[in-house]
This record gives sequence, C-alpha cells and structure tokens, in this order.
Amino acid sequence: MDTFFSALLCIFAGGVVPFSLTGNVKVMKFLVIFLMGCGCVLGLYSTLNRFFLPEAVTAVWPLPHILVLALKVDLLSACFLLPIFIISGLAVLYSYHYLDHKQSGRRIATHYFFYALLVVAMALVACADNIPTFALAWELMSLASFFLVIFDFEKSTVRKAGYLYFIFAQAGAMFIFGSFAVVYSSTGSLDFISFASVPVTIKALIFTLAFIGFGSKAGIVPLHVWLPYAHPAAPSHVSAVMSGVMIKMGIYGILRMYMLLQPPGYYCAELVITVGAITGVLGVVYALGQHNLKQLLAYHSVENIGIILLGLGLGMLGVAIDNQPMAILGFAGGLLHVLNHALFKSLLFMGAGAVQQSTGTLAIEQLGGLMKRMRICGVTFLIGSLAICGLPPFNGFISEFLIYRSGFYGVTGTSEPFLFVVLAILSLAIIGGLAIACFTKVLGVVFLGEPRSAGAAKALPAGASMQTVMIILALICTFTGLVPQLVMPLVLPVALFLLPHQALSYDVPMNVMVNHLSFAALGFSLFVGLIIVLRKILTRGEASSSTTWGCGFSQPSSRMQYSGSSFAASLLAFYKPFVQVHEKKTTIHGFFPKTAHYYSQVHDGSEVGLQWGLVRPLLSLTAKLRWLQHGHTQIYIGYLFFTVCGLLLWVVLR
Amino acid sequence: MRVVVVGGIEMMESILLLVVGVIATPLLVMIIAKVKAWFSGRKGPAWLQNYSTLIKLLKKQPVYSQSVTFIFRLSPVITMAGLLAALCFLPIAGRPPILAFGGDVILIFYLLALGRFFMICAAMDTASPFEGMGAAREALFGTLAEATVFVVLIFFERLQGGGSLASYLGMQTNAGVWGSDGAATIMVVVALFMVLLVENARVPVDDPTTHLELTMIHEVMVLDHSGPEFALIEAGSWLKLFFFSGFITNLLCLYHNTPLDFLIFTLVLISIYILIGIIESITARYKLELVPKFILTSFALAFFALIFSVRAPL
Repeated sequence: MDTFFSALLCIFAGGVVPFSLTGNVKVMKFLVIFLMGCGCVLGLYSTLNRFFLPEAVTAVWPLPHILVLALKVDLLSACFLLPIFIISGLAVLYSYHYLDHKQSGRRIATHYFFYALLVVAMALVACADNIPTFALAWELMSLASFFLVIFDFEKSTVRKAGYLYFIFAQAGAMFIFGSFAVVYSSTGSLDFISFASVPVTIKALIFTLAFIGFGSKAGIVPLHVWLPYAHPAAPSHVSAVMSGVMIKMGIYGILRMYMLLQPPGYYCAELVITVGAITGVLGVVYALGQHNLKQLLAYHSVENIGIILLGLGLGMLGVAIDNQPMAILGFAGGLLHVLNHALFKSLLFMGAGAVQQSTGTLAIEQLGGLMKRMRICGVTFLIGSLAICGLPPFNGFISEFLIYRSGFYGVTGTSEPFLFVVLAILSLAIIGGLAIACFTKVLGVVFLGEPRSAGAAKALPAGASMQTVMIILALICTFTGLVPQLVMPLVLPVALFLLPHQALSYDVPMNVMVNHLSFAALGFSLFVGLIIVLRKILTRGEASSSTTWGCGFSQPSSRMQYSGSSFAASLLAFYKPFVQVHEKKTTIHGFFPKTAHYYSQVHDGSEVGLQWGLVRPLLSLTAKLRWLQHGHTQIYIGYLFFTVCGLLLWVVLR
Repeated sequence: MRVVVVGGIEMMESILLLVVGVIATPLLVMIIAKVKAWFSGRKGPAWLQNYSTLIKLLKKQPVYSQSVTFIFRLSPVITMAGLLAALCFLPIAGRPPILAFGGDVILIFYLLALGRFFMICAAMDTASPFEGMGAAREALFGTLAEATVFVVLIFFERLQGGGSLASYLGMQTNAGVWGSDGAATIMVVVALFMVLLVENARVPVDDPTTHLELTMIHEVMVLDHSGPEFALIEAGSWLKLFFFSGFITNLLCLYHNTPLDFLIFTLVLISIYILIGIIESITARYKLELVPKFILTSFALAFFALIFSVRAPL
C-alpha cells in the first residue's frame, strides 16, 4: 500500500508544483510530466504487484466523530487501476505538445492541478471500501473533471457543455447515494461489507438505483446526453482520459454493487443486457450521423459501454443459470474490453486532437487526405479504428471474441435467458457491422481521398510527444491482439473473483482458446506478409501514376468526393425510426443553378425526449414556485426558522 | 473442444483438398458464365479463360491514382489473406479442415469483415465519388448480412455446439442438422444462399459482369484497381464464392467416409454454381431499395428457423 500512496502523492505533487512555475511553461510541463510519469509508473507497479498477492490490501483511517476512511485494493480494483495509471501517464505526456501555443501559464497550472486531482480521485474511487470514502472520491472525481472540461471557458459552447456534464454528474450521484441510503437504512452500517446482509427483497431496487447512477457516468442510453457535448469541449488528452478511463468508473461501480449485493435471479443480468444492447446499437447509429470528429468518437464511447455491459450481463446471466463457462467468459470479455477500450479510445481521441491542432477544425466534411500529410497520426488512427471495430488481429477482437463465446455457451437452453443471450449476440453482430461502416466513413473522409479545405491541405504532422504517445498506444493495441496470452492473467483472475463461489478451478480451457486466437492472428499476419512478398516478386517494373478515373469527366474537384453525410445517409435512412435526421437544403433548378446548400443534423432521441419529458415540465413547475424566491435574506432565514420549528414539532409529536 | 492439429495423414489430405479447391475456383466460376451463355444461346468463354485473365492481370503494370495511399495497395492483400485464412477452417467433403478450434466461426466472419473494411477504405482512398457511393452501399449491405450470418451461427450452435465450422459441418454431425430440425435447416440453407448472393455481389443484388453502372455496389468499388491488385481482387471474389458455396454444400451432403464423398461434394458444389448461373440468367437485378428487403428476408428466414429450434424438450 505504501507504493500506492507514494504514487498518488507523486501525481498530486505534479499537480501542485506547477503553481510555482507559471512563468516558465516549458520547465513546468517537464516537471509535471516527470512527476506524474513517476507516479503513474509507481502506481502501475504496485497494481501489477497486486495480482500476485493472495489477499486484498487494506488501509483505514478513522477520523474520530466524523467518519472512517477505508481503502481496499482487491482484484476488481486492481483491474480498473491499470487503465487509470497507463492512460493518465501517457495522456500527460501527450499534453506537452498539445498545450503548446495556448493560454497563460497560470491557466495551464490550474489545468494540471485538476488533472492530478482527477487521477487521484479515480484511483481512490477504485479503492474505496466504505460509503463515505466512495462518496467523497466520487464527488472529487466529478468536480475535477468538470473543471477540466471547461478549460476553454471563454467559449459559451464549452460552458454549456460543462454545465450539462455537471448536472448529469450530480443527478447520477444522487441516484448512487440514494441506493447507499437504502442500504444504510436497512443495515445501519457504512461498510461495503454490510451490503451482502441487505434483505433479498430490496436488492433489486438498490441495484437499479445504483445502475442508473453509475450508468449516467458510464453513458448508458438515455443518460449519455452529456458525452457528445463534453468531449468536443474538453482538451483532447482530457477527452482521452475521460472517455478511456473515467466513464469506466461507472462500470466499476456497477460491478462493485453486483459483487457486494450478489443479487439473486435473472433480473440484474437481464437489465444489464437489455440496456447494453440498446446503448450499443443506438450509440453507433448516432455516431454514424455526426459531423464532428470528437462528437462521433464520444458516441462510440457510448457504443463500447454497451459492448462492455453486454459482456458483463452475459457473465451475470451465466452466474444466474449456473453456467460457469458462460459466466467466466462474459466477465473476462467485459473486463478485457474495459482495458482495450481505454487503449484504443484514448488513441483515437489523441488522433482527433492532432487533427484539430494541425487543421484547425474537427468538422469531418472539411477534412480529407490527411494520411499523406500526417502519416504517423493516420496509421495509428487506422490501427485504433481497426481495434475499435473489433477486427482481428487487434486487441478489440479478443474481448469481443470472449463475449461472443460466452453467448455461444448460453444458447443451448430453452428458457427465458435464451432470448437475452440471442439479443446480446445479435446486438454485438449489428454493432460490429455498424462500427465498420462508421470508421470507414471517418478514415475515408478524414484521412483518405483529397483535402476538402485549405486547412486540411496545409496540415503538418503533430508534435513529437503526441506522436510518441500515439505510437505507443497503437503498438500496445497490435501487440495485445497478436499475443493476448500476455493480458489474460490481468482479467481472468478478476473474472473468477466475480463469481459468487469464488471458484478457483474452472472448466473453460481459456488459455487454449487464447492460444488459438494468437495462432490464428499470427497465421493471418504471415499470409499477409507472404502475399506482399509474392506480389513484389511477380510485379514487373515501376507502376505508373495517373489521376483517379472520373468516368470520363475531366475536371474533377475535391468537393465532388463522397462526403461523410452522403456515406452515412443510406444507413441512417435504414434506421429511421430511431434516428431523426433534420435536413435543410435548396433544390437545384435550371442549367446554371445558383449556389446551393445542404445542412443536416441528427437529433439524439434521448436528448429530445429528456428535454420534452423532463426538463420542460421541471422548468414550468419551478417557474410556478418562483414566488418563493424574493432575494431578501431575512425571508430566507425565516424559511429556515420555520422549517426547523416544523421538524422539531414533528419529532416531539411523533 | 477440438485441438488445432489433426493427425498427419488426415492433415495432408485436408491441405490437398483445400489446394485443389482453391486452384479449381476459376474453373468453378466459369460454370456460371457457361450457364448464362447457354441461356442466351451463346457459346460462352473458353473453360480456362479465367486462368489466362489472372495471369495477364498479374503481368500487367499497375496504374495508381495520385490520390491514393498505401491503403489502396494493402487492401487487396488483406482481403486475400483473410479469405485464405478463412478457407483453412472450411471442412471439405466431410474431411476435417486444416484448422479448427472452438469459436473459429467468429474469427472467420470477422476476417471477412476485415477484408470489407479495407476494401471500403481503398474505395474512399481514390477520392472518386462513384467508388464512395459503392463503398457506402457495401457498408450498409455488409452490416445487414452480418446479422443474418450470426443468427445462422446461433442456430448451428444450438444444434451442434462446439463453436467451430468443423463441428457445425463435419461428417458425423449432419444427422443432427437434418434430424428433428430438418425443416428449420431448409430455411437456414435458403437464408445462407441469399447471403451468398449478397456477399458475393451476384444478381439479383449486384451484377459482377459490368464494371460501371451507378446502381452497383461491389464492382464500382474496384474501378481504379488495376494489374496485380485487380488480380488479387478477382481471385479473392472467386475464393469467397467458393467459401460460401462450400459452406452450403457441406450442409446438403451426407458423407459416409468413402472416396464417394468427394464426388458427392463436387456434384453438389457444381449444382450450386449452376443454380447461381440460372438465377443470373432469369432474373434482373433489383432496384437498390429492394436490396435491404432482400437481406432482411434472409434474416427473417434464419430467425424463424432459430425460433423453430426453441421447443420444449420432449
């Protein structure tokens, strides 16, 4: 535990020191990267060590008369600590060149302070072992990330995104604390361990409340509305950490509640699978319709949360129907996807940040041809895209394979769970296909073809620190896809740990399965190599170069390329009941038409629904109560006085 | 769960079968062309025409557009490698495939999806609006067809278990497929045949013989490929057709572990190619908006088959 605390201290120091160096931003950034880097390496070391220890490590500080702070690092915590330290460390390195020619030293110092606070808070969330500690760490995490989101607070869109995030974070926290309150009222204890003794009848209620609360942080549909606003507003390394790591704290919370409560029956599993399927499919469909690169990636985070929930839901269902292979594979797949998504999603957000920095825009339709001008960024983005689509031989495939396999173990029954298994497998297949469509759109329109604007035509490669981080992440994605044996020891014990009977032996030949995948991935790479070599031998002479064939048209311009909107149009039309596309266009008349325009926007059904179903009624209700607000302090004191009197009376009369 | 490597002699036999199958694919595709020629009263191309086309394309000097990047050259290679890897898992004539492991079906269809990903990227790479249009359609139809494929896989997993093509289609298992769930299996065969037409860009979904028309899907994506790259794409399309036909053939055949099996397999395989030829001769290509309905029909068939397989145990 000492290493762990020194790691947190080191990271926090990296957040405090910059205030004394606001004059020299360069030295400040060096120092921050050094301190936080050391902290993250230390933290990673202590977390990896945890996998070899038989017992959970604990630390308790009683603060007399107030509360007890308790921390405990068990396998589940360790599994979620890994991405925290890996991604946070890399993201801070990325920020060296990303925050290059921006803002004053004081603002950057403040930014690093909240960044350090966020990392420490996330680590504490993953380790908290009683209700007060968890609540404190959770709120600290939400607040720190709120301040990170509003880095560019001069822009009104950024402020709006920040407020939206703040509201969702706090409303979600209310649900979580509500579920804790239900537990406390029934057990009278603040320790996590007491959750197990809650009467069975209210376990489902507690789990549902917690699921809504944690889900709003993770971004389940329809509570994902803040994600597509907050991510484009935040700096890219913050988006990477928030999307890659912070939203996983929601998943951690769901799993922790599941583990503590051990809810019986199918209910929880079916809830998680259903929500996961809706979240996954709608997330990717909405992603298809986006015109802003980071907004699109934010919707893909929603989609991947869906995939993770499908895996975990299958695991829970496996536990409920006592199907051990299904349970282990489902949990292992879901947890591995947590790690994998942290890697490839932060890679993609960093790629988007590099694109924004060198072209000055995130509008997909303004870009094009960046593969030639930003080669390293393009290739790493390609690897990230392949990984997020779950294609072999990259890491995303391994986790999706495990989830599929878990589902396949569950299809033999005839009863009710079978339907949910089919739902899970089918939604995974549909998500996979749509993700391919979405990322071919991004790659094709942003990185391939010809530039569609002057900014894209003059793009320059990203800074060295940004490229280094993207290369490291891309290598990890490729390597763990080719040799998944290396990461399985990080999730398999955790999956076993989640089983109710703490099974030590299991009858899934997991290692054999992973070896097969590795063998197939390497074999496939061998085939690719062989064909390339053969192709080199068989070709004669130099290839000649020409323009793209325009089917006879001799004056093509880059604006004639297929745009992202047109690419996605037929797909969106197919999913019309779920996605409303609003179009504004001028029709073209005559032989020499005047300038035409086309504008389209995809309205998020959940956003519209929340607006009409919740926000507007709430606003009209509060408008009716506005007469209570006078602005006179005396009257407010009067309210307090009468409330206290009323409460006292109530206590006395009861 | 099966172990990867089968015995020595069997292994040799499996490799030999696959090599023969792969080499025969240009000839098999010619069956379709011959059937179409016969329907229109022509003689048709020579039986070995595809081989000479392939050699000619391989010898040609390629022309690359100034817009393209390495992805354009890499994509036919990836597609080809994915298909070859997928074929290693296909049992032929009831003999075990070269490779098999639990869950290999997922790998196979994801390898095909990887090829699709790269072909779409290559089409977008050329900056051509035509190819972009084809790419968008391929993305849509590929997504839909994948859903059907996974319903079919769930169906087989229920009936056979094991999660691998070898366990779904191997020799000893056909009795299970055609046993009490025979009726459902017929629906699955039809659904699979429809997926074959979609995935291989055959009529009525797409027309593989014309290379420039705006309503097309697959062929319009490869307008700018030439020389060896185009040879890889052509050969890849023959392999893909062989994979899907072989899949269906294995479902239809009953093997008895005798040399006769090879004959049965070949005959059924040829009749599938003839059927494709007949369909291409007597039907017109659908309007584009009918294609999603066509694919959804295959999905519905497969899904109903799955529902039929869910019965209370007797």
